Amino acid sequence: MLALDVRPAIAQELNRSIGAENVSTDLAALRSYSRDYSLVAGTCPDFIVYPRSKKDVREIVRIANQHEVSLVPVSSGPPRFHGDTLPSKRGIVVDFGRMRQIVKMDSVSRCATVEPGVTYGEIVPALESHGMKVNMPLAPRANKSVLTSCLEREATLIPKYQYDYMDPLLTLEVIYGSGDEFRTGSASGPGTSESLKADKVNPWGPGAIDYYRLLSASQGTIGLVTWGVIRTEVRPALRKLYFIPLDNPQQLAAPLDALLRKRVVDECLALNSTNLATLLADDARADFAPLKAALPPWTIIACLAGYQRRAEERVSIHKKYLIEICTTLGLQALTRLPGAPGLETDVLRVISEPWSKEPYWKLRRTDRCYEIFFLAPLSKAGYFVESMKEVVERSRCPGLDYGAYVQPLVQGRGAHCAFLLPCDGSSAEEVEAVQELFLSASNTLMKKGAFFSRPYGPWAPMVYRNYADGAAMLRTLKNIFDPNGILNPGKLCF
Amino acid sequence: MMLTLEDFRRTMESCNHCGQCKWLLGPKTKGYDFAEICPIHQRFGFDAYSGQGLLNIAEELLNGELAYESGLIKLIYSCTTCGACDINCKSIRDMEVLETILALRERVVADGWGPMPAHQQQARSVAEQHNIFGKEHGQRFEWLTPDMELLKQSNVAYFAGCAASYLYPKIARNTAKILNAGGVKFMVLRAEEYCCGGPLWRTGQVAAAREVAEHNLAALEGHGIDTVITSCAECFGAFRDFYPRLSKLKFRVMHITEVVQQLIAEGRLTLHNTRKRSVTYHDPCFLGRLSEPYVPWNGEIKAFGRHEPPKQWRRGTQGVYDAPREVLKAIPELDVVEMIRNEENSYCCGAGGGVAEAFPEFSQWTARERSKEAKSTGAEAIVSCCPFCESAFEKVLQTPDGEMECFDITQLIADAL
Amino acid sequence: MSLPKDVYAELEGIVGPEYISDREYILAAMRHAMPSSPVKPPSPAAVLLPGSAEEIQQIVKVCNRHGLKFIPTVSSLIGFAYPTGPNTIMLQLKRMNRITEINRADRYAVIEPGVRHGQLKTELMKYGLSYPVAAVGPGGSVLVNFACSSGDNHNQHGASRTNRYILGVEWVLPSGELIRLGSLANDAGWFCGDGPGPSLRGLLKGYAGPFGGFGVITRIAIGLDEWRGPAEMPTEGRSPDYQIRLPKDRHKVFIFKFPTLDQLRDAMIEIGKAEIGQAVLKYFNATAALLATQSANHFWDLWDSGLFQRELARPLYVYLATHSAEEMAYEEAVLREIIAETGGEDVDPAIRAIYENNMDFFILVGFLQRVLRLGGAWAPTKLSADSIHHMFEVGKTIPEFLTDFIDKGLIFDAPDNFQIISMEYGHLAHIELLFLWERNQPDWGDVPMQVIARSHETEIRHGHHATMPPRSKPMLEKLGPLYSDCHVWSTKIAEAFGARK
Repeated sequence: MLALDVRPAIAQELNRSIGAENVSTDLAALRSYSRDYSLVAGTCPDFIVYPRSKKDVREIVRIANQHEVSLVPVSSGPPRFHGDTLPSKRGIVVDFGRMRQIVKMDSVSRCATVEPGVTYGEIVPALESHGMKVNMPLAPRANKSVLTSCLEREATLIPKYQYDYMDPLLTLEVIYGSGDEFRTGSASGPGTSESLKADKVNPWGPGAIDYYRLLSASQGTIGLVTWGVIRTEVRPALRKLYFIPLDNPQQLAAPLDALLRKRVVDECLALNSTNLATLLADDARADFAPLKAALPPWTIIACLAGYQRRAEERVSIHKKYLIEICTTLGLQALTRLPGAPGLETDVLRVISEPWSKEPYWKLRRTDRCYEIFFLAPLSKAGYFVESMKEVVERSRCPGLDYGAYVQPLVQGRGAHCAFLLPCDGSSAEEVEAVQELFLSASNTLMKKGAFFSRPYGPWAPMVYRNYADGAAMLRTLKNIFDPNGILNPGKLCF
Repeated sequence: MMLTLEDFRRTMESCNHCGQCKWLLGPKTKGYDFAEICPIHQRFGFDAYSGQGLLNIAEELLNGELAYESGLIKLIYSCTTCGACDINCKSIRDMEVLETILALRERVVADGWGPMPAHQQQARSVAEQHNIFGKEHGQRFEWLTPDMELLKQSNVAYFAGCAASYLYPKIARNTAKILNAGGVKFMVLRAEEYCCGGPLWRTGQVAAAREVAEHNLAALEGHGIDTVITSCAECFGAFRDFYPRLSKLKFRVMHITEVVQQLIAEGRLTLHNTRKRSVTYHDPCFLGRLSEPYVPWNGEIKAFGRHEPPKQWRRGTQGVYDAPREVLKAIPELDVVEMIRNEENSYCCGAGGGVAEAFPEFSQWTARERSKEAKSTGAEAIVSCCPFCESAFEKVLQTPDGEMECFDITQLIADAL
Repeated sequence: MSLPKDVYAELEGIVGPEYISDREYILAAMRHAMPSSPVKPPSPAAVLLPGSAEEIQQIVKVCNRHGLKFIPTVSSLIGFAYPTGPNTIMLQLKRMNRITEINRADRYAVIEPGVRHGQLKTELMKYGLSYPVAAVGPGGSVLVNFACSSGDNHNQHGASRTNRYILGVEWVLPSGELIRLGSLANDAGWFCGDGPGPSLRGLLKGYAGPFGGFGVITRIAIGLDEWRGPAEMPTEGRSPDYQIRLPKDRHKVFIFKFPTLDQLRDAMIEIGKAEIGQAVLKYFNATAALLATQSANHFWDLWDSGLFQRELARPLYVYLATHSAEEMAYEEAVLREIIAETGGEDVDPAIRAIYENNMDFFILVGFLQRVLRLGGAWAPTKLSADSIHHMFEVGKTIPEFLTDFIDKGLIFDAPDNFQIISMEYGHLAHIELLFLWERNQPDWGDVPMQVIARSHETEIRHGHHATMPPRSKPMLEKLGPLYSDCHVWSTKIAEAFGARK
């Protein structure tokens, strides 16, 4: 708890600077920011502030520095899963939900400028009306912040649009923990944001430092982003879905790699029957089991796309490649979803739109879940899937029916592997067992070479324990950008 | 007309340190191995050991910014003057790298700091016995045998050269045999033949080289020679590149492979072979990329590189590459496999520029590098057209396991007659 | 100024006597004034050829103990690879020249600094793999190109800039400590360059790299793409006139000309949206003439004919490379539609033939150094990137400042000698203006800075981004405030990690 004599002063300054209507001390609201679906134990903040502008953000940071009180940025609505938005000590939660302007959409330069509060639920239809789309994660919740998702390097569905792990993020405006304002890449200048006529789509620099990389996966510990430019893509005129059923996860890499080398596919991903059934079941409880039983153990979903010119011709050529590749590998490429013909439109919706139904798909089967995710070379995805299976079989919940997801990334050179562990929150025993599984599996997989590139919660000490020199460099950077350590203390290695 | 170091100032100033003088030309590269082109750079590593380095050194010497010392002299003379840097640079620039290196050596000699003792010995040998080995001049034509058909007088002369005459008489004998078989009426200069002067010129001993060259020119002119045939790339290079600087030549120079190529085309020679064998051909520097005739240019370089009058550049395009290959292909049962660094991109054998004499260890290192490449082709033998190249390869290929044979092309042709 | 004997001895003890020298004749090769500069760089105190990361760590620690500066370099092509003051040693990393891994399944190669483009590009071709070559000639270091210098290349429309391909990194910091970035951090291999957490790779390189000013990169992994050509360069002919032709059913070159830059721009944008093509660029015209000719006189014959000024004032080069003839027919049909819509026409067939006969322009660009042929001085400016639309806005303002210099005879008369290269299917584009000038005029050394300053003033006046903040400390401090005070942050970071400023 902040010292009693400090809180009124802070409250007064916040009210004066950003308006009392944008400051909350409501106990229920404060408590709601102290917990999420992760293993992280959060602390109740003292204030929630809702900035509306960069000026507000500057003021908040100034006040926080003045009083050495921590700030924890939150941009997405609940449910939250990673623990990154849970304060580790009392302070101020900065909820960007009221900075939700889509500042600009540009279909010529294929980009959109958004404030941190803009969600997938807002951006997807807005871009659609401009003939565009964004390369987005698998079924993000509708209230998920687009900018946060990009900043946190969340895996996206279209690997051919990823040239490295930072896509689709472009330039940013940030207020560092020091209170200084900065713009990255070609947004940096020359001149002010207003006088600069560039479209701000060059993310690199300025100069010899990629400042946007230093902010990525930082869980708000380096700076508070006030707007960002994200890359958008042409909305296809024609899309054709294909499904490749697989019995064995070791078969995953070959077709995905071959397709991506030829740049044949747009969205492409692999889901095990558990995850696919969770996403597609009409009634998550009643329909899940029979659907899962009908689906093949694994399904690759591959979307071929044609754009504004000769779309049919393009799709036809890519289809030939797809069939050739599958034939060579002894696989089938089907237009109907194997095991559940007729659900193709639902699949298309899942990979095209944010999830707007309640509950969020990850919580459809159980009221709690824990997700293990990491990066690996695509060729090793099958290995890690098998490894996870072994860990689960040895755990206290050997029969756990968990979801598995392999998402090729960066032209197919890497993959995001994710295991969704369902958990009945009403059973203390089950919660304990699944949490134990989460930790032991994470540990085991890390030792086997899984790269936890986004070290949330308990992963952070696991990762940085073996990366002391990297942690030291990060702390040096933290000292530069947030000298008083006010931004989200206790996260990562800070 | 001999140019001096000062005449190449523009070349020295124009170097951009692009590195082309050290690396195989891009279009000819075929992977990680055998991608370097400059032996001294590959061996010693410092940039000073390269065409670029020698240009920079030359400029500093010219400007009085660099003092002579023994290490510098050794560096300057460790270069085989193979011309790979020159030709590579000329693939992209209008510069005279090799000319500058040769002019640098001449300057070093003029300043009393060079050449290396072994080269000075060669000059003494030439002065005394008209050959670089110091052997008796009278023994120069002991390679002749009674069965050879020679004319006392002809307009065609076979110029054997020092190496063939004294070290590899079989090359001279095979050449005579080939010419006889092809019905070429030729003479030899016998005692009138002196060293071509090439080794002296390339080591900066221009006055000594000029002396023997002028003697040879007079002898050839005296006999009314209009065609000089040689089987030595060093001599060939000297005739093509050095002699025209002294006077306008009244004769053409042909390498024995060009003669054989012509004889085959005219139906005057047919080659036979019973032994199936695979060979790889090594392009000697002075027969290949450095064999285009020297064309004097005494113009002015105007703004943005415009040469007035236009200069005829020698970029290695018209070297003698085809003749040896066509001759080898004309030998039945001979499978010719190319090395990666071939034709104008050939990697030096290590023997030229006085390096074999002054730095034998480095010379052999270079030959070993080239031999590795030859072995990598899977060929059973390496073939070249120069006694100096043969000498270089012999030293490194004479191993107990006899992994690879080496031949002079005259041997293969003579065996196929 | 030579090294104190004890310091020399310490360094010699690390690399061995064969790999260190302070002899003047060795140093002479590391202090030559580039043709573009009237100023000879200060001499390094010594040159070293280290053989491993461990040796480099030890060397760096010795330097730190004795207050020596060090400059890591490989080919030393770029002007930044030279000392700017005394007490500097050069670390030439040529001996560290191994390709330590080519991972065909995961599409990356792990290389040391001494691996050159000529070697790696052609080695990877054998395995059906490729990467974008930022043209510096075949002797250029791949690692330096990727991690330390810039990285724009002809094929970045279908591929990208080299900075996108950097994966795991091994790096000796200015302190002498060795750090691994990305997935190497947790022994997870080389495949990923970012993380864990905030990506320290951001310190390694921005739009351009630190040019050797921030420690020494000792190994990197680079991502690889599929190579759509043959296993070996199908080179014919002899230097300098090589012909490299790729199978016509799957590799085609087109060059179009447009009446206005706006129409050219629109074509480039549409091609990007159609997601066709490997290389899409508005190329330089004087540079194109230099690359197409074999001597300065040959260039002058061509340039004086006016052909390239007429045909290539506003050109669009397009290289299509596909997996099948059918795909080629499709891409060509789409391309032709776009060109027709935007008012483009094919250029003189003789020009197209130049590129059809030597497709190395899209492979290794081994002959790039022909741009240096005229022998005087040259300099690039602008060199940053933003949207295609914005780059063409910048391009349209070039005559505002360049014409003045041309009219005064200070630079070569080639006002259209700038390039705009589409990147990543047209999501952004890079711009570069290249100008040439002669050394035989008064104050010739001042010309480049004057042109660059006027170029930059024009950008500032128009609110254009086309240039990244300059590297030199005084210029950075002067212009940094215009770029979000980036000079403050770069200085803080440099000081915190001991980087050379």
